[in-house]
Amino acid sequence: MEPFAPVRRSKDGQPIRYLVVDDSVFARKNLARIIETFGGQLAGEAGDGMTAITEYERTTPDIVLMDITMPQMEGIEAAEKIVKQHPEARIVMVSSVGYQENIVAALQRGARHFVQKPVKPEVLYEVIKYVLGEDGTVAQAAGAGA
Amino acid sequence: MTQFSDDRGAELKELFFESAQELLQALNDEALKLEKHPGDVETVRTIRRIVHTLKGDAATCGFRELSNSAHELEDALALEKASSQATLAEVALAAADTFNAMVAAYRGKAKPPSSEPLRKLIRKLTETSDTPNKRSKKKVSKDSKIAAQTAWTEYEKLAAEGALGQGKRVYHVTTLIDPHCAMPIAARQLLLNALSSMGEIIATRPEPGARDAAKQVELLVASDKSADQVTVKCRIPSVISQVSVEALQSKAPKGKKAVPAPLSTEKDESSLPAAEPEAQVVSSSEDAAPATKAFSTTVPENILRVDAERIDSVLNLVGELIIGKSMLQQAFLEFTRRFPKEAMRARFSDAMAFQTRVLSDLQRSVMKIRMVPVEQLFRRFPRMVRDVAKQCGKEVELVLSGQDTDLDKSLLDAIAEPLTHLVRNAVSHGIENPDERGRQGKPAHGTVRLTAYHHGNQVVVEVSDDGRGIDAQKVKAKALEKGLVTPEEAGRLNEADVLELVLRPGFSTADEITEIAGRGVGLDVVQTVLNRLKGSVDIETRPGQGTTFRLKLPLTLAIIKALLFRVEQRLYAVPLNGVAEIARAHESDLHQVDGYEVLQLRDQVLPLVRLGRPPEERADSTPGKIFVLVIALGERKLGMIVEALEGEEELVIKALDDQTVATDLVSGASILGDGRVVLIVNLAAIIDRHGRSRSRGTGKVSSGLLLQHADRTAITSNPETGVQP
Repeated sequence: MEPFAPVRRSKDGQPIRYLVVDDSVFARKNLARIIETFGGQLAGEAGDGMTAITEYERTTPDIVLMDITMPQMEGIEAAEKIVKQHPEARIVMVSSVGYQENIVAALQRGARHFVQKPVKPEVLYEVIKYVLGEDGTVAQAAGAGA
Repeated sequence: MTQFSDDRGAELKELFFESAQELLQALNDEALKLEKHPGDVETVRTIRRIVHTLKGDAATCGFRELSNSAHELEDALALEKASSQATLAEVALAAADTFNAMVAAYRGKAKPPSSEPLRKLIRKLTETSDTPNKRSKKKVSKDSKIAAQTAWTEYEKLAAEGALGQGKRVYHVTTLIDPHCAMPIAARQLLLNALSSMGEIIATRPEPGARDAAKQVELLVASDKSADQVTVKCRIPSVISQVSVEALQSKAPKGKKAVPAPLSTEKDESSLPAAEPEAQVVSSSEDAAPATKAFSTTVPENILRVDAERIDSVLNLVGELIIGKSMLQQAFLEFTRRFPKEAMRARFSDAMAFQTRVLSDLQRSVMKIRMVPVEQLFRRFPRMVRDVAKQCGKEVELVLSGQDTDLDKSLLDAIAEPLTHLVRNAVSHGIENPDERGRQGKPAHGTVRLTAYHHGNQVVVEVSDDGRGIDAQKVKAKALEKGLVTPEEAGRLNEADVLELVLRPGFSTADEITEIAGRGVGLDVVQTVLNRLKGSVDIETRPGQGTTFRLKLPLTLAIIKALLFRVEQRLYAVPLNGVAEIARAHESDLHQVDGYEVLQLRDQVLPLVRLGRPPEERADSTPGKIFVLVIALGERKLGMIVEALEGEEELVIKALDDQTVATDLVSGASILGDGRVVLIVNLAAIIDRHGRSRSRGTGKVSSGLLLQHADRTAITSNPETGVQP
């Protein structure tokens, strides 16, 4: 796969900072790798909803990639709590098809977008650009698609 | 074609829509299951069966397009071994979507969407090669155009006019959900989120909260943004593949077609000729019933439609209350023993008697809520029989009786599918052609009887025909040919066993395949469902005179009166209705006949089953007095040897899953007032086991029957965990 044109923060040109939340270490590593190809930076990781909230407070990332099913606190609840405290939080739910209901619930509670597992980098890339909107800029004038 | 009266036909179709909804839901579920476990044979078979039922039902209602595509899918599924399993789930999901759209269209009396895309997918399944090419080609065609199809309601139009009046712009947004997005409902939600930041959403199709998987979503949005801005906002990556935004003008012509006429200048799509069939999801037109909304809201006022789950939860609570009642009773007994002179006893006992009475009334009332007459199910058959008969060129009369027999709703729903197959089978295979009947001196028109009645604590539903009967030899030959049995096995089978082969998956004696029945799927559903319901199927056939399938179902699945007894110190229960009498006996009264233990009870010889080990095999035994429970199930009588009786109690059955108990001899478990766990013995299975061991000529099998399994499950010895080691 060809590398993606890096996405930067519009306000300071810094890399986009991500918080990756998933109870599977493998899934987290995989997402971290994908994020790297976008020129992003891993701000923090969490394996459950509780940690996700504290990690969000600590790192204030630009984007949260959030799994649905996790121990302790599920993704929906974590997303809801984060959005309540930080309405500007950009949370992208990451889940397999079977959890459509939960995704709908998460979207109703303030999640910004969702991607299906297994995550396809090119899909996530488009989603990230969309979710960032004007706060993100693609470094070169490449693939400015939808 | 002599049609049934209109409202009769309408009622039938309504039934079809309801059952189709369920089937499609099941199809979705199974497809998802398959996605998780690709290649699971059982799931594929279930999917095939669902599609098969849908095909038959649709054909009965004359929905050709749907029945044809279901037919194709069914065929493809039969060949599945040869094709790639991985894509199957996807195709099944696509099929569910397409079928759903079709059903919605039929319901809205609109033209069904084309099934061509689905057929392409199905063909791809069967071809397996050249997949990539076709795929990309298909994608191109999908990317072509979309067209607005929704006609908004008067109310929505009014709201749109109102917004226009306030100087806002109103857009008719038509979007197509990305074909790769498997979560259309989530996609819709995301679209709603995106658009609600643009302005006010006046209306959406499908409606918010709808569960259907329509790929095309249409919205009416009032906003002060430009059409371009709205379009950009709707272009949600990975979710929405196409967007078309039309601004609406005020001064809507009162035409019947749609709302305010489109102001074509701001159209996002380059050109929009005929709509691409793939994208079509027919929505309701104003005069038709709402198509996308699954349920009509016009139900007579004094009837409530309640989710069955809610009633179940009430029933469950009643069950818990009954356990609570027996806890109280236990405590009271203890209390009485300790303080026999205490004056409060009488007051306690009065209160408890009162509570018991109210509780049993409560239980009865709740159960009654769940009961519905089988009429509800039977009434779909006359039309079906007529159509099937017509298709096969036969003359068949359907005679219904016992329609007012009440049955638990969940049971009724569960037997709908098996019954449909049995009736179809009776007509298409059972009844002969008129000429053939004439030659045999039978009346030209055959008769199929559908009967329901109560028998003991069971409900019996019979499907009988006066047709040719089942030829046991032919069945055996066919089973051999299909590899369902080995030649050695075939030699040992008695007639009843042979007949049961008919219920095996993959069995069909019909020489030709018809649209309605006869592809080997179908009758196995009968067995599967009845097993699940803890019921049984009897087949009775007389060559030349007809066949009767007898489905026996428990009256209810929830609460029974039971007799508690002990075998080798362990506690078991049997449903009291199954016990005809209790006899005392002595070990020395038992006799051996043909390797069987029997008991002479008055002037009858009663075959016996020994649930525990015989006394000579046991160290702890004190040979001597025993009890024999005479159990009667239908025509069959059997004595069960037990060691001690514990009494009678109302049990709330807790279902055991297959992992917990590896035998069909136990049908459930319950908790007694003092917290002990008791296993409920499945009488039908015991009688069945006994009959089979007899046919094999090995009498010994009937002793120690229960114990082996009980040992394995170790439930009674370890009631806390109740799982096998």
